[in-house]
Amino acid sequence: MTDLAIRAEHLSKRFWLRTERRTRLKERFIRGGEPRGREFWALRDATFHIERGTTFGLLGQNGSGKSTTLKVLAGIYRPNGGRLELNGRVSALLELGAGFHPELTGRENVRLNGAILGLSRRQIDKAMDGIVDFAAIGEFIDSPVKHYSTGMYVRLGFAVAVSLDPEILMVDEVIAVGDEEFQRKCFDHLATLRKRGTTIVLVTHSLGLIQEMCDQAAWLEHGVIRGLGPAREVVEAYLGDVNDREMHGRGARPVADDVASLSGRLGSGEIRIVALEYLDGDGNPSPVLLAGAPCSIRIHYAASRTVEEAIFGIGFVGRTGVFVAAPSSGRLGPWTVAAGRGYVDLEVPELLLQPATYRVSATIRDRGHMFDVVDQAYDLHVRGGGEREEGLMRMPVIWRPPVSVAADDAADRSAGETAGAQ
Amino acid sequence: MTRKLAGMTARSTSARPSRWIWGYRSLIWNFAQRDLKSRFKGTALGWAWSLMLPLATLLTYSLVFSVVFRANTPSFGNGREGFFPVWFLAGLIPWNFFFISVSGAMPSLLGSGSLLQKVYFPSYTPILGAVVAILVQSTIELGILAAILLVLGNVAISWLLLPFWALLYVSFVAAIAVILATLNVLFRDVAHLVNVSLQLLFFLTPIIYPITLVPDSSHGIPMRTIVGLNPLAAYIGGLRGLVYDLRPPSVLTWLQMACWTAGAIALAAFVYRTRGLDIAEEL
Repeated sequence: MTDLAIRAEHLSKRFWLRTERRTRLKERFIRGGEPRGREFWALRDATFHIERGTTFGLLGQNGSGKSTTLKVLAGIYRPNGGRLELNGRVSALLELGAGFHPELTGRENVRLNGAILGLSRRQIDKAMDGIVDFAAIGEFIDSPVKHYSTGMYVRLGFAVAVSLDPEILMVDEVIAVGDEEFQRKCFDHLATLRKRGTTIVLVTHSLGLIQEMCDQAAWLEHGVIRGLGPAREVVEAYLGDVNDREMHGRGARPVADDVASLSGRLGSGEIRIVALEYLDGDGNPSPVLLAGAPCSIRIHYAASRTVEEAIFGIGFVGRTGVFVAAPSSGRLGPWTVAAGRGYVDLEVPELLLQPATYRVSATIRDRGHMFDVVDQAYDLHVRGGGEREEGLMRMPVIWRPPVSVAADDAADRSAGETAGAQ
Repeated sequence: MTRKLAGMTARSTSARPSRWIWGYRSLIWNFAQRDLKSRFKGTALGWAWSLMLPLATLLTYSLVFSVVFRANTPSFGNGREGFFPVWFLAGLIPWNFFFISVSGAMPSLLGSGSLLQKVYFPSYTPILGAVVAILVQSTIELGILAAILLVLGNVAISWLLLPFWALLYVSFVAAIAVILATLNVLFRDVAHLVNVSLQLLFFLTPIIYPITLVPDSSHGIPMRTIVGLNPLAAYIGGLRGLVYDLRPPSVLTWLQMACWTAGAIALAAFVYRTRGLDIAEEL
C-alpha cells in the first residue's frame, strides 16, 4: 500500500460556466445568493492508482479533462468529490516558463520557482549550477528573462522543474516545444528521473510518447475514464475508437471532391481526373486507410474522346513535402481508354505508409505528353493500429533471430561466402 | 450519477502541503524581493523614487498647513515647539504603509494569476509578499523619521514599545490586504471601491490634523467618538504617542489596537478559507 505515489478515488471536479466570467457585486445584490451558471463536470468519478517510480500517461482528445486531472493532482484545483492521496513532493510543469517574471533575472526567477516548490535557499543554490548547465544559457542567467529567446525561456523552465529534485513530476504537453536536440535531452532526463525513482505523470497528445515512456495510462473522455491499464493497451483501445469515429464522421461525405473545376489545371485535357476514392480491403469506400492493411485507390476519369496510350500515376507526398512514392501504370504498357466516364483501380496489397496524413497527386499522361495533373489535391489519412516505427514507410523486412558463430566457423563461413559470390 | 456525486462532498487537500504561514516565509520573502526588484528596475534613480512620493506629499501638506493655514502643531514630547512636517511625517508613514499595501496587494495577487494556475501555493503568499516589500520601504522612512527625532533630542523610553506597536499594525494591515485582494478576484468592483474609499479615509483619519481638533459633537453627532472608532486613528495616534508626544498610548488604546488586529486576522482567515482556496479557478 505504501508504494503508491498517488491514490485517486472517485475524484470529481466541477466548474460553473458563467456567461460572464467576472462575477460582479451588482449581480449578487440583484440575484442574491451564489452566482451560478451551468454546471460542468470536467472530471467525474475518476479512480486510479499510480505506483511509486512509475510513469503514468493521460490521453484523450482536447477538452477530455486531462489537464484538469493534472491540475487536481498538482493541488492547483481542489476536487469537488472523492479522495486524493499523494506521497512525495510535487513539481508541476504546466506550460514552460509561465512562472517567470519578465523583469527578474533568470537566477532570481529560479529562486522564486524553487521557493514555490517549497525548497530552501540552500537547496536552490545547490541546484543552480546544474540548472544553468542543463538549460545551456550561460551568462544569460543574470539577465532579465524578458531578453531571453523563446528557446532559452523554455529550456530554463524545464531545467527548473526537473532539477529541483521532485518526487512526483507532472508534465503537461510541454516537451513539444524546443528544438530537436533539446527534446532529446528532455526525454533523456525524464528517463534518468524515472530510473532514480521519480513518479511521472505525463499529459500529451503524442501516443508514441505514451507508448514509449509510460507504464500505465488512463484514457479520458468528457471527464470520465474510459480506459485504464498498461499504456500499450490503452493506446490501442483509444486508437481503435478514434479510427471508428473517424470512419463514421467522414463516411457520409465523398472522400475526394470533384476537382474537375479547378482552374489552372495543367495538361491538354482530352481526359480528366474527376475524383479519387479510397477503398478499404473489402472494397468499401473509406475515409481513412489502415497502415498494414490492403486497400485500393480508385481514379475516376472522364474522357472526351478515345485516348490511346494512357498511363495513370499516383504520387504520395509526406507532410514535410518529401515525395514518398509514385506508382505508375506505365510498366504494364499504355492502356486505351474509351470516351466517357470510368475508373481505374490501384490495388495495394499492404499499405506500407506510416500513420500520418499525406497529400496525393494523380496524373494521366502518355509517353511525353500530359493529359491531366491534379497536384497534391487530395488528403490521404493513414491510421495505425498501435505499434509505430519511425520514418515514412514500413519496409517489408524479415528479421532472423541471432545466430552464434564460433571463431573457426566464422573464418570458414566468410571464405564460403566469398566462394559463393564468385 | 449526480445523486452519487452529491454524497461525495468531502474535500481532500492532501495534494497540497499542510503548512502554516511560517512554513511559507521563504516564498513570501521571494515574492517580496520580486516586488522590490521589479518595481524600480530600469529606472536611473532606482530606490530613490520610493522616497519621492512621501516627500512630495510631505511638502505639499506642509506648505498648505504650516504656511497657508498656519495650523497649530502639537509640541514635541521634550517640550520643543511643534514643527508640522515632522509631526505630519509621523502620521504619514503609517498611513502610506496602509495605503500602498492595500492598493498594491490587489494587483499583486492578480499578477500572480498565471503562476497560481501552474503550480499550487497559498494565494495569500503573493499578498503578504507585497506587504513585506512595502514594509521594507516604510521601515526606511521610519528610520529617517527616527534620525530626525534623534537630532531634535526627542527620544524617550516610550520608543521601546515601538516593536509591539509595529507587530499589531503590520498584522492588521496584512490581514486587511489579504481580505481585500482575495475579494477583488471574485468581485472586481472591490478595487474601485477601495480606491474611492481610501481617498475619503485619508481625511477621515487624524493624519493632517490632531484628533483633539475634532469637535466633541457637531449637530448632535458625536464626531470625535466616530473618528476615534476608525481603527487607523488608534494605530496612527499610537505611533505619534510613542515617538512624537513621547506619551505611551493608554491601555484602552492598546486594547483597541489588539482587538482590531485580532478581528482583522480572524476575518482574513475566514475569507481565505471560504474564498481563497479555490482562487486559481477564478483568476
